[in-house]
Amino acid sequence: MEKKRIDDYEPGPVPSPRPLDRFGFVKQELNNSPDGLTKGRPAYEYEREERRVRKWRKMIGVGGSDWKHYVRRKPHVVKRRIRKGIPDCLRGLVWQLISGSRDLLLMNPGVYEQLVIYETSASELDIIRDISRTFPSHVFFQQRHGPGQRSLYNVLKAYSVFDRDVGYVQGMGFLAGLLLLYMSEEDAFWLLVALLKGAVHAPMEGLYLVGLPLVQQYLFQFDHLMREHLPKVGEHFSQEMINPSMYASQWFITVFSYSFPFHLALRIWDVFLNEGVKIVFKVGLALLKYCADDLTKLPFEKLIHALRNFPEDAMDPDTLLPMAYSIKVSKRLEELKQEYEDKNGKPVQSAEFNEKQKL
Amino acid sequence: MARRPDEEYDYLFKVVLIGDSGVGKSNLLSRFTRNEFCLESKSTIGVEFATRTLQVEGRTVKAQIWDTAGQERYRAITSAYYRGALGALLVYDVTKPTTFENVSRWLKELRDHADSNIVIMLIGNKTDLKHLRAVATEDAQNYAEKEGLSFIETSALEATNVEKAFQTILGEIYRIISKKSLSSEEPAPANIKEGKTIVVGGSEANTKKPCCSSS
Repeated sequence: MEKKRIDDYEPGPVPSPRPLDRFGFVKQELNNSPDGLTKGRPAYEYEREERRVRKWRKMIGVGGSDWKHYVRRKPHVVKRRIRKGIPDCLRGLVWQLISGSRDLLLMNPGVYEQLVIYETSASELDIIRDISRTFPSHVFFQQRHGPGQRSLYNVLKAYSVFDRDVGYVQGMGFLAGLLLLYMSEEDAFWLLVALLKGAVHAPMEGLYLVGLPLVQQYLFQFDHLMREHLPKVGEHFSQEMINPSMYASQWFITVFSYSFPFHLALRIWDVFLNEGVKIVFKVGLALLKYCADDLTKLPFEKLIHALRNFPEDAMDPDTLLPMAYSIKVSKRLEELKQEYEDKNGKPVQSAEFNEKQKL
Repeated sequence: MARRPDEEYDYLFKVVLIGDSGVGKSNLLSRFTRNEFCLESKSTIGVEFATRTLQVEGRTVKAQIWDTAGQERYRAITSAYYRGALGALLVYDVTKPTTFENVSRWLKELRDHADSNIVIMLIGNKTDLKHLRAVATEDAQNYAEKEGLSFIETSALEATNVEKAFQTILGEIYRIISKKSLSSEEPAPANIKEGKTIVVGGSEANTKKPCCSSS
């Protein structure tokens, strides 16, 4: 009986006939216009994409074997190409290469399995409660106890055991979920470790530790940068009593993966993994800059709404990202960090990864 | 900036929604402000915000509601939003006893960070899950009386008592505020704006709408 059911033609694991977008998200009714299904990208774009993939494959080598060599020889080419977007079919592999997670995986054989199977975590119930509330509109995570939800649970539980100081904090699920759409559980786990412990860039764990110290620091830095780059917006926000904790906490805690269009989030992640958190500041500033004329006209409540619902044209990666790249923040970020630490004391970081940390 | 007629109100009341993660705070808010319930809702990261203007005791009141992430660690960010709040809706899940047991911790949180005269209402949500109920109405009722809180049970999914819960707390706030401004020579608190009394029609959303449109 069971066998027969499988042989029958049944639509996928999710009993939902709702159409999906190219990333696997259930399409919103809004986008579901009659031409929605046929209005794909034109043929010449596919050809261009194919040429790009060939170029990328050459740069990476089989399974990433040529990557390190290429990066050493032509770092600027790599940076430029990543900023244009990593081809979707190579994204998972390249993310592991640029984040340093591949090295962590190779150095720690069997560790992930140990964490998943043998250890218990104090956060298990917290994690379970949020599993169905993480990318609920993505086909991979929709099925109750399905492979997507199980992987998400395993990665988050493993991390909560691996780093008991951080444990599990809401928001981490969106990071893990995004990664799981591009790589295996074990790979996603080590990428999460690479990010939070700072394998290549400054560690992110402070975003999730008790007191959320890094969220507070980033919001402080963003507030100052915004006032320096966009004084009119800054002045208007002061008048209307808007502060960055009202709209930008999610940007940092989930690196734009919580509520932004997925194709934009992916492009931001490409650059984020290669260049670090400063792209989050730049994209945030670019969004405000693009919408400045509208934002400065709005009163408090409409402002809050607008800051959570940016217009579609503002969120086109090919408009927003070039704008973001043109905003220079590195030097001021460093100074503002210093200023923040002078005021609030230096946060405590784990020593093990600190030595590797590049600023 | 000139206020358009549909934005005029007599009073502006700031209210916070607090309680453990997953008890249904965000859906209570969307049911009250947009008459929507989302089965596929995401966990709240940080704070969310919504308003609704409605009639309370014959006055036009704008309720400005801050919805907060429930996980303990987020209090580092969310507790800042208690300041200036005139009311707090403290929500637990009637099917999850721990969320009720944690109510006392939330009360302490309010005592530490909110104004001392904040009006607090205890809300037992998810009454639609009748077969899973694990917190008796009577227990919560007794607890609320002991702590001097008002109390109601709601279902954001079935839209049961949601309107009543908000009406009740806004009414209580109104009575305290109007008593204060009568008995005291001091000006009313800064977060209350006086405006022209106008009747705002159609603010009551009566038709049930399907799921919200978050991605």
